[in-house]
Amino acid sequence: MSDEVSAAGAADNGDGASMTLLARPVLELRAVRKVYPGPLEVLHGIDLEIRQGELVAIIGPSGSGKSTLLHIMGTLDRPSSGTVRLEGYDINRLRDRDLAALRARRIGFVFQQFFLLEGMSALDNVAGGLLYSGVPLAERRRRAAGVLRRVGLGNRLYQSPAKLSGGERQRVAIARALVTRPAVVFADEPTGNLDSASGLAILDLLHELNQEGTTIVVITHDRDVAAAMNREVHIRDGMIESDTMTREALV
Amino acid sequence: MSTAALAPSRLRAADLLRLGGVGMRTRRLRATLSALGIAIGIAAMVAVLGISQSSKAALLAQLDRLGTNLLTVSPGQTLGGDTAELPLAAPGMIRRIAPVQQVTSAGVTSASIYRNNHIDSANSGGLSVQAASLDLISTLGGTLHQGRWLDKATQKYPAVVLGSAAAAQLGVDKVGVKVWIGGISGKAGHWFSVIGILDPNVLTPDLDRAAFVGYPIAASLLGHDGHPSTVYLRADPDSVDAVESVLGATANPQNPNEVNVSRPSDALAARIAAKGAFTTLFLGLGAVALLVGGVGIANVMVIAVLERRSEIGLRRALGATKRHVWAQFLAESQVLSLLGGVAGVALGALVVAGYAANRGWAVQVPAVAVVGGIAAALVIGAIAGLYPAVRAARLSPTDALRTV
Repeated sequence: MSDEVSAAGAADNGDGASMTLLARPVLELRAVRKVYPGPLEVLHGIDLEIRQGELVAIIGPSGSGKSTLLHIMGTLDRPSSGTVRLEGYDINRLRDRDLAALRARRIGFVFQQFFLLEGMSALDNVAGGLLYSGVPLAERRRRAAGVLRRVGLGNRLYQSPAKLSGGERQRVAIARALVTRPAVVFADEPTGNLDSASGLAILDLLHELNQEGTTIVVITHDRDVAAAMNREVHIRDGMIESDTMTREALV
Repeated sequence: MSTAALAPSRLRAADLLRLGGVGMRTRRLRATLSALGIAIGIAAMVAVLGISQSSKAALLAQLDRLGTNLLTVSPGQTLGGDTAELPLAAPGMIRRIAPVQQVTSAGVTSASIYRNNHIDSANSGGLSVQAASLDLISTLGGTLHQGRWLDKATQKYPAVVLGSAAAAQLGVDKVGVKVWIGGISGKAGHWFSVIGILDPNVLTPDLDRAAFVGYPIAASLLGHDGHPSTVYLRADPDSVDAVESVLGATANPQNPNEVNVSRPSDALAARIAAKGAFTTLFLGLGAVALLVGGVGIANVMVIAVLERRSEIGLRRALGATKRHVWAQFLAESQVLSLLGGVAGVALGALVVAGYAANRGWAVQVPAVAVVGGIAAALVIGAIAGLYPAVRAARLSPTDALRTV
């Protein structure tokens, strides 16, 4: 897979939309529209394909529809029309409980506000990522400890989130997203609540994780964050404005 | 890209239980307060049922000890409406009924008893002075609080044994004191020595308000004619009914209808049966407390759902189905009420133990109260948590994640 990605990425001159990557698509959006009652059309026909191993930024100002897009890509919401396929599953054809299963096993989320649960340790927060996969507690904790060590928090396993710094909290949240070995991780403004040093460290971590094979989609309004990714998808007023490969995906 | 069947989201039962306890662990004060209402309600019900059962058991034990084979025969009324008299021979005749084991009698005198001779004879205080057979106390199963019962010697002398209530009313708390017996028109009163004080008698409580002297002294000093006013007898427990049916004719063959026959244990049994009546009221009060407790828990759960929107959103993002969210909040509500239920049962049992110890009863907490209390708590938890849980489950993940 990695050979194909690097070969294809190098062959392209930056136009992501016309890429002919050979890696298999993780996420495919075709003519996705989202209309809220009003009517308020937030997304006007989005076509987007994200392949395995990519590190993509979806960038747009507030009100551009990027949060709605994130929710639809993450199967938290359904499009009004158009199709969304995640790992080949057409989400229009899945029942709510199947979407939940998809999220439990194939999708990881990282949020700007971290959303760590107080009253339980970092380890149990991360282990919570496996809660709805039916993995027994001891196994959940074992895997959670492994991922926490990977994100550099091996010495913070039993800390309560309240006693962690912002950067550390976001690492815990990232570990929670990774613990299920998802096909894709969506990170919504992952550095939005962090100072710039912690933010840079988180971006470095995302890069490392991507190089280890994790497909990552970062949603941001911050140009610097977007510039740190390998591909930038600009959206404005519910449409894709541009889709560029900014960096060769190197392995 | 496979479209093979996806393994469903799955929440283990043990994990659901653990989730149910999260609210309790992270918000202890709130959990405690909301469980308190349930605890009070359950405690009230357990205590009421336990106390009623313990007191019933104590009465039954007493009844067993006293026996149900005691019968009393007393004069009724003549056809003319006057008070009848039992024949002098009545005790002897009754003794000849085969299943009768013991017979004794007492005769009410017209005298009254006073603390001393300065008291106006009209203030007799409703206490009776009775001539008693020597075996009265053994037949009744009575016991002496202090002193002695009448014997062959003391029955001829001015000696008196007081019933418990009579002693209390006269202010006599030890033997050896002298009391004044008189009040008979045309006769002088006499000092009598108190030689014994009886314990309260459950089977024949009317005797608690009597003072007993011997038949001989009653005849010589108090003008008693020797007619028994009540004959007490013990029959073979298997033949009590048969004996009861022939007693009237045996005691007074000429006028069998002028005889009242009764079985004192019937009154006690009726009291035991009546014990249940009062508890209903208290059970109702306990139920009201439970209802209020349930409302408290529902309230706390509604607040929890509002406060934990982002947690609900996070859990949906982590793969929880609506049903998982629903089950989590329902479990939390049940854990709270179960906590209250268990605490309530313990508290109620403690109250029963304290009350029973105070009364000298054996402690009895009915199993139905314990099981019922905990079951009631669970049911209330389910009802209280249902609406908040449905609201939590209905919350769309995108709304829940949108922090305001």
